[in-house]
Amino acid sequence: MAKIIVVTSGKGGVGKTTSSAAISTGLALAGHKTVVIDFDVGLRNLDLIMGCERRVVYDFVNVINKEATLKQALIKDKRTDNLFILPASQTRDKDALTIDGVQAVLNELKEDFDFIICDSPAGIEQGAQMALYFADEAIVVTNPEVSSVRDSDRILGILQSKSLRAEQGKPVKEHLLLTRYNPLRVESAEMLSVADVEEILAIPLLGVIPESEAVLKASNQGQPVILDLEANAGQAYSDAVRRLLGETIEHRFLEAEKKGFFKRLLGGK
Amino acid sequence: MTDTCFRMKGTTLTSIVLEVIDFDPDTFESQLAEKINSAPQFFTRSSLILHLVKLLSATEFELLVALCRRFKLQPMAVRGEVGALRSVINDLGLADVSQSKFTESSLKTTKPESTALKEQAANEPAASSPVPTPAAATKPVKVISRPVRSGQQVYAEGGDLVITAAVSEGAEVLADGNIHVYGTLRGRALAGVKGNVHARVFCQSLDAELISIAGQFIMHETVKASCWKQPAQIYLEEDTLHIEPIA
Repeated sequence: MAKIIVVTSGKGGVGKTTSSAAISTGLALAGHKTVVIDFDVGLRNLDLIMGCERRVVYDFVNVINKEATLKQALIKDKRTDNLFILPASQTRDKDALTIDGVQAVLNELKEDFDFIICDSPAGIEQGAQMALYFADEAIVVTNPEVSSVRDSDRILGILQSKSLRAEQGKPVKEHLLLTRYNPLRVESAEMLSVADVEEILAIPLLGVIPESEAVLKASNQGQPVILDLEANAGQAYSDAVRRLLGETIEHRFLEAEKKGFFKRLLGGK
Repeated sequence: MTDTCFRMKGTTLTSIVLEVIDFDPDTFESQLAEKINSAPQFFTRSSLILHLVKLLSATEFELLVALCRRFKLQPMAVRGEVGALRSVINDLGLADVSQSKFTESSLKTTKPESTALKEQAANEPAASSPVPTPAAATKPVKVISRPVRSGQQVYAEGGDLVITAAVSEGAEVLADGNIHVYGTLRGRALAGVKGNVHARVFCQSLDAELISIAGQFIMHETVKASCWKQPAQIYLEEDTLHIEPIA
């Protein structure tokens, strides 16, 4: 039975799409047949991060409106086996998504896939609610700063009250993914610490992704950062995926790296 | 298009309940007179619900209503042992509310209770008593075991609210009775929203945006001044909210 996981946050720009791309790639690398759906209709981004923007012919809205079949719209990832992308429409808006339409597409995908990752748009309106409505689990992407934490808290409330599972009295399983974490800035009290965020949101921690230039580089190259094995951020995403699959792994990159004498001398990063 | 002439709305109002335990016309009259003379201002033109503990005959009931009206009380509804009185109640222009689900409202009074006339009053807590026992304490308690998130609102109507998790910033918890938060209270807590001045707010860690009891409130700045992030209780005394640590 396929598992539907929504990647959501309330707030924009915290790393939902980056995380959706990395986690779906990680799941596929682990041998699970995975599809990632862009729910951000009108502001299509996932295709860029996944590096398949030139291959989009049909999109999610076309499938909902039965203008194309799922087979025609799904884009097979070039780098990773078992991975497919269902892009959003750039010319429509979020009202094009209907509960019945989304359900029909998800039901069809469930027959073929192990994991369905729903990349939610920002906000708490129609688009975001459609993305989370059918979710079994939710990855709440949060930056270590107060406005992001409050918005995550808000979206957790919506998950508990406005999802299909909530209506059936079965809670959605929640995961906290802390992104753009910078231990140095935590030390100087410019950022909330992992403990602060965990204390406020009170949900299990799936992973902490360190702030890293590798993320920006990966986005610009259209290559999910998880494929960058050298980067801390990529390794942190790999850990998060393993935890999502049930493994218990210690959290890394929570402390500031002590720069050695030569590194300081050479100005290495 | 015509303008609407009226709107139908629901409302709740506080009313005096007259419990009729026994009915001997003469004794009843003298006891009622005594009671009303003790606070004539309070009782004049008060709307009244007759609660029949004793089953009365039609004649007795008519006499009871006439007596009440003579003392300028205004019976409006009847409940309790209504029995065969339904047609008489109807004829007298009263409502039979014996089927309605009643929430006993607490009515503050300082007068002693007589046998024939008993107000359903909130027990005045003894000055030394650390925890008051308002009438609402006997009402069903609403228990919430998940965090109350930003933007969510929880209301315990008619009783206490117990939350065994945190109340987030931007969340609002309300109760007619007391509010207990066995977690950090970061949001807004409003106890005694229908005017119960004995309601209290208890929390494991006080970090609230706003605390209100029976309409009196304090904001974050004031809350911050004492028991900050400590276990605390907040209660109303002489129209002022007091914050006190709890062990």
